[in-house]
Amino acid sequence: MSARVDVLLWAQRVLAMTGAPPHQLLGLKADATLEAAQEAFHKIARTSHPDIHRSGLTPEDLETVTLAYARCAGAYQEYRSKRIQTTRLQPIKEPLDSGAPARPSGPIGAQPGAGASGQMNGKALIYYRKAEIALRRGDLKGAMLQIKMAIAGDPQSTFLRTALVEIEAELAQNT
Amino acid sequence: MQIYGASRYNLSMSVALGIDLGTTNSVAAIATPTGVEFILGPRGERVHPSVVAFPSSGGVVVGADAKRYRLTEPHHVIHSAKRFIGQNIRAPLVQLAMTGVRYRVEEGPNQQPIVVVRDRRMTMPEISSNVLLHLKRCAERQLGTPIKDAVVTVPANFTDGQRQATKEAGRLAGLDVMRLINEPTAAALAYGFGRDRQQVICVFDFGGGTFDVSILRLNGEVFEVLASEGDFFLGGDDLDRALGEVLAAECNRILGVDPRPHAALMMKLMMGAEAIKMHLSENDSAEGEIDGLDLPGAKGSKLPFAITRKQFEDLISGYVNRTCEVTKQVLLTAGIDARSVSEILCVGGSTRIPLVRQRLAEVFRKAPNTTINPDEVVSQGAAIQAGSLVGNLSSGTGMGARDAVATAAHSTLGGGGNVVLPDQQAKRPILMDVNPATLAIHTAGGFTERLLEKNAPIPIERSRVFTTSRDNQTRVEIDCCRGENRRYTENEPLGTLVLDDLPGGKRGELKIEVSFRVDADGILHVRATDQTTGVKQEAHLQVLGAPSALDMPG
Repeated sequence: MSARVDVLLWAQRVLAMTGAPPHQLLGLKADATLEAAQEAFHKIARTSHPDIHRSGLTPEDLETVTLAYARCAGAYQEYRSKRIQTTRLQPIKEPLDSGAPARPSGPIGAQPGAGASGQMNGKALIYYRKAEIALRRGDLKGAMLQIKMAIAGDPQSTFLRTALVEIEAELAQNT
Repeated sequence: MQIYGASRYNLSMSVALGIDLGTTNSVAAIATPTGVEFILGPRGERVHPSVVAFPSSGGVVVGADAKRYRLTEPHHVIHSAKRFIGQNIRAPLVQLAMTGVRYRVEEGPNQQPIVVVRDRRMTMPEISSNVLLHLKRCAERQLGTPIKDAVVTVPANFTDGQRQATKEAGRLAGLDVMRLINEPTAAALAYGFGRDRQQVICVFDFGGGTFDVSILRLNGEVFEVLASEGDFFLGGDDLDRALGEVLAAECNRILGVDPRPHAALMMKLMMGAEAIKMHLSENDSAEGEIDGLDLPGAKGSKLPFAITRKQFEDLISGYVNRTCEVTKQVLLTAGIDARSVSEILCVGGSTRIPLVRQRLAEVFRKAPNTTINPDEVVSQGAAIQAGSLVGNLSSGTGMGARDAVATAAHSTLGGGGNVVLPDQQAKRPILMDVNPATLAIHTAGGFTERLLEKNAPIPIERSRVFTTSRDNQTRVEIDCCRGENRRYTENEPLGTLVLDDLPGGKRGELKIEVSFRVDADGILHVRATDQTTGVKQEAHLQVLGAPSALDMPG
């Protein structure tokens, strides 16, 4: 019973701190490290994760606890994302220059098959589509693999050869 | 110890099903006091094909029986529905998936894919609900008690729309889907539950259709996902296709006919390729012949083949390298050194391929865990989470502390010893899953402002305050999108939120707070508040491709 009251009091306290800096939500000092934030958030989760209180609280109270927990998760993410930004080695890059033949024309999905389908056979097109998806995700190596598979499917297509050269050039530039 | 009959489980104790709803196969399980128990099909099978058939003789057939119709009535057999569920039919990936199926898929309302069998039109959630209903009925027969609660697993990279559609499928099957959990997280839970570990593990999930890799920190009962990356078009099917193309070329060379234009024939070659692939996981070479290839003008109907494991490995090495690259990337994102990962869990049938395990061992300088069953571990985790949510794992009457140990020890994961006795009260596992994709809004100049990054722990809420960009602006439209790109148009639009009747004023005067909240199922809720007047606008985004409440029957 007291656990129920405790978690509600905690939740109301967190929700009252609207706009507070992340370390306050987690009950930390301003110069706390990521490790300290992780420990603090795990401690919050052990006592206040909404799943634990699923059966013990009314729906309204559970919503209050869930929201408070979600805000703390947001505070913890501030610490996590800082680390990710400093360690990320491969930022997502724009795909190829506009106008280059390998670049999908317009937003993919709006006009499936536009442009590329006339340039290669059906089998190669499957891999070409995969390459497009990879490019959209900024994944040049993945795109290169798929384009190579496409060329294996349709060795005659100059369109695909050009695309491969473009991607290789882009990749060389990045490394 | 087992008591048979209707009252095998105390009726006051609710039973919740854990379901691994897969692209090719589904597995269901429940957490019982003696361990995780699998739900068996009509013939005693643990693995249920995710196949729904609508045979000419009438009715709906699901599972192993439905698979039999694949060769006789291919147009009436719906498989791989997971590749379509909750997706926009115009998305390139869906267009790609449509080339691999023989049933008809059309565009329905809200750009969602619709299956057409004869004169019936069905949404993808309806198709999947047949599989879920089949599992539910099997479970009810096996346990002798009605079941309404379930936890369903989804791939870590499933989007908002795909998650909503999966929940919808559960609802249509008469199940209350208490939670969707990510497949790798479920696998980690099955591995770590009840063992009070302090370690970092990697879950390498290479299934039939998708590839996911996740890094988790286990801190006692807390399971925190540090990072998760995936490649949603890389799976065992791609390996089959690579081998199938070789077989097709052989067919052309030996029999003198190119089989590629013949869909039924290619289907047979692909099935042959799958069998050869599996054989090569256990053996160094595969020799034999594929028969029943009836081609007009061919020099016979049998295709002999002889493929060594080395040849097969050369064929698939590009794909396997790719999985290793993603794995290295996820380690970077998680900020974890490969050597500090103490366990590598292999999930999904494709991890049985020796080359995959070998390359993984090279990345981590440690052999992956081979004691787990890659087909079943996900449903085990789902069952544990389901039991935890209905309170069966820790309540004194249900699954007591001693019994909770049994769940870990009896599972194929337990490996016998090494089980730490928990306190008298078994601790409920606490899952910290992650947000599957970066979520942002459209700002002036065509750029995006990120509100929630990929890999953030969920449930989560984040807010940002924005101002108006023109004078006397009384209306604000907030375009939400998903994706990593800084330019709005390069991302996938999710929907628009409109805030009307604003008091106007000079540009920059209005303060509008936008809150993004991702719930424990990974589903996004957006709220915008005008801070001066307090006008609130809460919206559940209508995601393109997702079924809306309006066009769903029932």
